[in-house]
Amino acid sequence: MPNQEKVRINKLPTGVPGLDEIVGGGLPEFSFNIIAGAPGSGKTTLAHQFVFANATPEHPALYFTVLGESAIKMLRYQQQYTFFDPAKLPDSIRFINLSQVVLDNDLGAVLAEIIKEVEKASPSVVVVDSFRTMVRKPNSDMDLQSFIQKLALFLASWQATTFLIGEYAEDELRDNPIFTVADGLLWLRQTTERNSIVRKLQIVKLRGQDSVPGLHTFRITDAGVQAFSRTFGLTARKRNPPGGRRLSFGVPELDKMLEGGVPEGDSVLVAGSSGTGKSVLATQFIAEGIRHGEPGIVAVFEERPEAYAKRATGLGLDLETPQKDGKLTVLYLRPLDLSVDETMQSILDAVQKIGAKRLVIDSLAGFEMALSPGFRADFRESLYRMIFALTGIGVTILSTVEVDESFTEFPFSTYSISFLCDDIIRLRYVSIDGELRKVMVVIKMRGGNHAKDIREYEITSKGVVILGQRLTKYQALISGIPIHSDESHPKEAPFQEPGIRD
Amino acid sequence: MTDAPGMRDLARRLLEYEADAGKASDPLESPTLRVYEKLRSSLGGFVGTTAFQSLANRALTLARPDTLSLSSAWISEDGSLRGQGEIENQFDIDNDEAGEGGIVLIARLLGLLRLFLGEAMTLNLLRNAWPGEALDDRSSQHRRKHA
Repeated sequence: MPNQEKVRINKLPTGVPGLDEIVGGGLPEFSFNIIAGAPGSGKTTLAHQFVFANATPEHPALYFTVLGESAIKMLRYQQQYTFFDPAKLPDSIRFINLSQVVLDNDLGAVLAEIIKEVEKASPSVVVVDSFRTMVRKPNSDMDLQSFIQKLALFLASWQATTFLIGEYAEDELRDNPIFTVADGLLWLRQTTERNSIVRKLQIVKLRGQDSVPGLHTFRITDAGVQAFSRTFGLTARKRNPPGGRRLSFGVPELDKMLEGGVPEGDSVLVAGSSGTGKSVLATQFIAEGIRHGEPGIVAVFEERPEAYAKRATGLGLDLETPQKDGKLTVLYLRPLDLSVDETMQSILDAVQKIGAKRLVIDSLAGFEMALSPGFRADFRESLYRMIFALTGIGVTILSTVEVDESFTEFPFSTYSISFLCDDIIRLRYVSIDGELRKVMVVIKMRGGNHAKDIREYEITSKGVVILGQRLTKYQALISGIPIHSDESHPKEAPFQEPGIRD
Repeated sequence: MTDAPGMRDLARRLLEYEADAGKASDPLESPTLRVYEKLRSSLGGFVGTTAFQSLANRALTLARPDTLSLSSAWISEDGSLRGQGEIENQFDIDNDEAGEGGIVLIARLLGLLRLFLGEAMTLNLLRNAWPGEALDDRSSQHRRKHA
């Protein structure tokens, strides 16, 4: 039968924002899954979300509670979540308590009770919460592995998608024969990193599905579990390669230095020390985009959106009107226990909402500080994922980064992230003729040629304005202590050859 | 919270409904026992026998000071109500002391459910055990007029 179609596996929505993407589009129908993790990691909440998302009077769910949490207490707390719809009880979702069966009998009796109820209700979803407590009963005629094996076989025949919830410690993951029975194994972790809690989930296995590997951050809010895919939900999204346009900065001379502007879909890094005008340049970039009908997002970490807009007004740039018109979103992301994935989710939601073409991250240092300490160690890797994901859908990103001003070195960033950026613009102070002046230089443009000029600029009431022609009368400008070409020695300080550091 | 007037009215409606229903099927069975058993059957499967038994015990403890008729009542290990049926067969809910005991006990039990699960879920659970008319105040008034 060469032309016979392969079996089609329906995918059921998990009811957990972000999790469908992670599991490869939804959980396979009729799969037998284990949700494992330590107490308080969100296992029951996740199972409830699945049940509430899928159960209907025609396709009901049976939720077996065993020992452990009292059913009344569980429902008392769970109904605080927004997904919990009391109207679904009991027609769509039936809770059945098996604690007495477990206390009075062995696992065989528990299995018989589950079978009896399943045959009676013919449910589409079955949850046993928590199956782990049953194994603690001594002198049981049936061991847990046998119980799970028989339960899995029975429920698969009854066309039920099943979840067993169990408390497991991290080291129990290895060599546990129970997990071999399961089609899906979702592992929830909760760790303390300095003063913050970091929650992560992993799809350890999921038969028949192309799930996203690795650890994914999740958060539990009043809406339940929300997962943040490491790929930011963009693997399933159509990539939108940039069209080769050049995007104007709104600074004509800088556009010329960039041979017409920033290539669309690039990641631009504007590096400089405090007061060199990084944020000003970023604001001009976003305002110029809006002027050309390209909606933008500004993610600010160091000042509030009102202050950001007010500062733009001082430069003659109106950011209030485009915000009201839905052409600009200023995201203020300040909480100190964010993960990059959550930040990205906020940015992506904003990008999708207004169809943003330009994104400013002001600044990377502020971004890093807003993260939970545990995520700071992965900051560079996270940035890589974020930039790849966003530029892949055609968004042009401008990030600002503060660098320590050195008179012996010329660093591009403190994060060693310049390789992540397609284009780098470096701003710095130089000491010329007894004045602290500012110069900018385009260090790198991956997509093409660019001017190598070192240009002096000023920050005026119109923003960054590049002055005159390139500075030709000085040597060692990028050292910050240049030498006038007519002189044989530096005027203000002993010259030291700068080292260029990435 | 557990003795709110709303719960008392609801308890009265359930007892009246079961008193009517019992007249046809089993005139000797106490309405309180009929309501209680329906609650036990519906909630016992949902929260477990032990949890129901402790809820019922708590309700009885709260109800006892309000009426003498519950002085001999007790809750068995499987959660069933004992000692109440012997003193209470069919009664006049409005006037009978035994009827008052039933109302108080059931109201306390419903009050506890409402306290823990909220009104919406409590009513959903009751709807599973009784038809809508048993929970409806207007139907109850209608039944009383025609009694």
